[in-house]
Amino acid sequence: MRQFLIITWWEFVRHFKSRSFLLSTFISPLIFALIVFLPTLYLEDSSADQIRLVGCVSFDSTQICRDIQQRFNEISIASSSVPVIDLVLVRTDTSQLMKQRFTGLKILKTELDSLDDAYNTVRERRKYIFQKPKTATRDAQLKTTYEELIQTREARDLAGLEYQRAKNQTDSLWRLAIVQHADGLLNSLQLEGYLLINPEDFKQGLVEFHSLLPSHFLDIEPLKQAVQVVIVEERLKQENLRVDKIQEWLSPVSFREIQLQGADKEEFDFLINYLGPVIVVLFLFISIFTSSGFLFSGVLKEKTNRVIEMLLSTVSHNQLIAGKVVGLGFLGLFQIIIWYGLTLIFIGGDILNANEISFLTVENAILFLVYFVLGYMYFASIFVGIGSLFSNEEDAHHLSQFMRLLSILPILLAILVLETPNSPLVRILSFIPPLTPTFMILRTPLGSPPPMDYYLSSGILLVSTLISIYFAGKLFRFGSLLYGKKPGFKEILGIIRSRK
Amino acid sequence: MKIDIENVTKVFKGNPAVKDISFSVNRGRIVGLLGPNGAGKTTTLRMILDILRPDSGSITFDDQRMNRKIRDQIGYLPEERGLYQKYAVLDVLLYFGRLKRLNRRKSHVEAVRLLDGFQMIDYMDEPIGHLSKGLQQKLQFLVCLIHNPEILIMDEPMWGLDPINQEMVRQKILSLRDEGKTILISTHQLAEAETLCDHFVFINHGETVLKGSLEKIRKGFYQKMIVVETDQNPEALKKISKVRKVDIMNKKVHLYLDSEGSAKEVMREVINTIDVISMESHKPSLYDIFMQTIKSPGK
Repeated sequence: MRQFLIITWWEFVRHFKSRSFLLSTFISPLIFALIVFLPTLYLEDSSADQIRLVGCVSFDSTQICRDIQQRFNEISIASSSVPVIDLVLVRTDTSQLMKQRFTGLKILKTELDSLDDAYNTVRERRKYIFQKPKTATRDAQLKTTYEELIQTREARDLAGLEYQRAKNQTDSLWRLAIVQHADGLLNSLQLEGYLLINPEDFKQGLVEFHSLLPSHFLDIEPLKQAVQVVIVEERLKQENLRVDKIQEWLSPVSFREIQLQGADKEEFDFLINYLGPVIVVLFLFISIFTSSGFLFSGVLKEKTNRVIEMLLSTVSHNQLIAGKVVGLGFLGLFQIIIWYGLTLIFIGGDILNANEISFLTVENAILFLVYFVLGYMYFASIFVGIGSLFSNEEDAHHLSQFMRLLSILPILLAILVLETPNSPLVRILSFIPPLTPTFMILRTPLGSPPPMDYYLSSGILLVSTLISIYFAGKLFRFGSLLYGKKPGFKEILGIIRSRK
Repeated sequence: MKIDIENVTKVFKGNPAVKDISFSVNRGRIVGLLGPNGAGKTTTLRMILDILRPDSGSITFDDQRMNRKIRDQIGYLPEERGLYQKYAVLDVLLYFGRLKRLNRRKSHVEAVRLLDGFQMIDYMDEPIGHLSKGLQQKLQFLVCLIHNPEILIMDEPMWGLDPINQEMVRQKILSLRDEGKTILISTHQLAEAETLCDHFVFINHGETVLKGSLEKIRKGFYQKMIVVETDQNPEALKKISKVRKVDIMNKKVHLYLDSEGSAKEVMREVINTIDVISMESHKPSLYDIFMQTIKSPGK
């Protein structure tokens, strides 16, 4: 017993002091966390530091844009979250060509207006002459003014046509110039995007959003809401209905998702109920495979440098294997305690919200621990059994790679649990020992599995672990002194079946 | 403590690695286990250490089977060396001391004493991987001595050591023998074994082919070779009867006698054949005995 404890302590301490342990305890989770959270942090940080400018461009008057801007500001103020978008009016184009065109158009309009005035004047004069009592000159006056009216109307109509043609041309050029100008602002990164309002389309409820990135990266939901409000307001005005409460009526519906947790009901939170358990499983797997990996490479190294012979001349095979497995198991537990401690520190430092780990109740923690211990023992015994069959790390490299790949399988299959935690397929897979720890840990907060599943899965895993420890002992006894030749599959089967 | 190996046999997958081997290692004696590669030396050592169990026969220590107490009195030095490369010299010594049931304090005292005695005290806190190969070999030797064992079983103890360190280790082994320790050495370095061991066991193909003290073994080989020094052409010596082989090396000629050849008769014939400067019956070295024994199956 004393020697077993010495080996346990030695394995614990020597691996605890190793760089690999530091790496897997602090660096690997950090890299993992960065991979998972960095994009989110980047988006959040950049949006917090920098308000994105979104423009509003209208082909006609800027009134619609002003309305949208007002509604958008109201929505942003009402919202609890920090606004990330600032909606600005884009005033366009002031190029020389367009100025000339507008001046020309203004002249044409003035001409048209003056012709229209002249026509109206002639018509009024004719009306006055016509209302006068009949005189000798009246008919002549009527005749003269008629010709004058016809000439003025013709001139006015021609001017009207001229003006309309020029206006159409200018409008087309104007719209083109507007879009070019707005695109220029996008390309020069002065704007993140812009709303393009064509009044005709707007009445039909169509608004274009132009940007360099897909709109979901910008989260334009509040903008859509503001546009929706303005469109509905316009429509209500046309129907002569009240518009003062439109924004209130259009406030989006929010769903509270309540999940049944055994006898209790709890509000579902994506981070707590979904992402949290996935992270716990990943961390437990890092721990299981760190410890099992140490065991695997430790046995191989001791075999390579023949330390194993010195050890076996001092202690029995069973003491050695038990000391190693238990020592590294404690290391795994210690790793988990470190992570748990760090989590508590993060909570204390307000970096993490205590609610976010609320699924880690005492009952769940005990369950996770049971599955961790059984899972570790199961994988460790397989690793130690197989590791002892090879003479050096080079020989075992391919197998070790293969086993690492194989160990990712439960994580990949975990998607099934996330979708339907209590489906018959997931329940059956939960009873397959290599998958049991992952599946049951994930199912616990997601699906509250029936007690029978806990008894059955942990029972099967326990029996499988005992069997694999028994066979690992046999393989270790045989393999620890095996050098040079690698045993074939048949030979390994023979060792497992042998009664010695 | 006396080790008795009696009729021990070990078979691997139908092939006997060790066949009916018997020998004893007495207290205060150094026994050399000699044999070519694959002869069964390491298997024999592992059976003595109880790492492997013999299929038949018995191994006893002062008439007792291997038990916890005996195991704690054994120091074992395996053939290939390594130890834990990343760990400090003292830590590794302490670990093995503790495994051999020394308390922490005693382990520390013994470790420091040994390191000092072998001029390694300055490397106490160095990681083993930083030491030279020779120092690592010496350290492994110290690991095997940390608990002052009654029985020492060593596989190639001089392997990888420079002459100065070889001498240091040799002196230590001899002093341990003088202290009354039971020592079994497996080696290929026959010259080394000759100066170190009191008793030899030759094994080949898993069988004992020769055993006894050097003097006893030599007796059977004494008169089997004659060395002749001459200025004349030695070719004529090839015609002498009962000489199975003649090796001519400059002025010296080695005459190997066949099993029925008498050194006295052959010497007489040599004198009658050529002028002799000197002539002697060769005292065979362990190397000669080893080579002849291994090359002559059944002997």
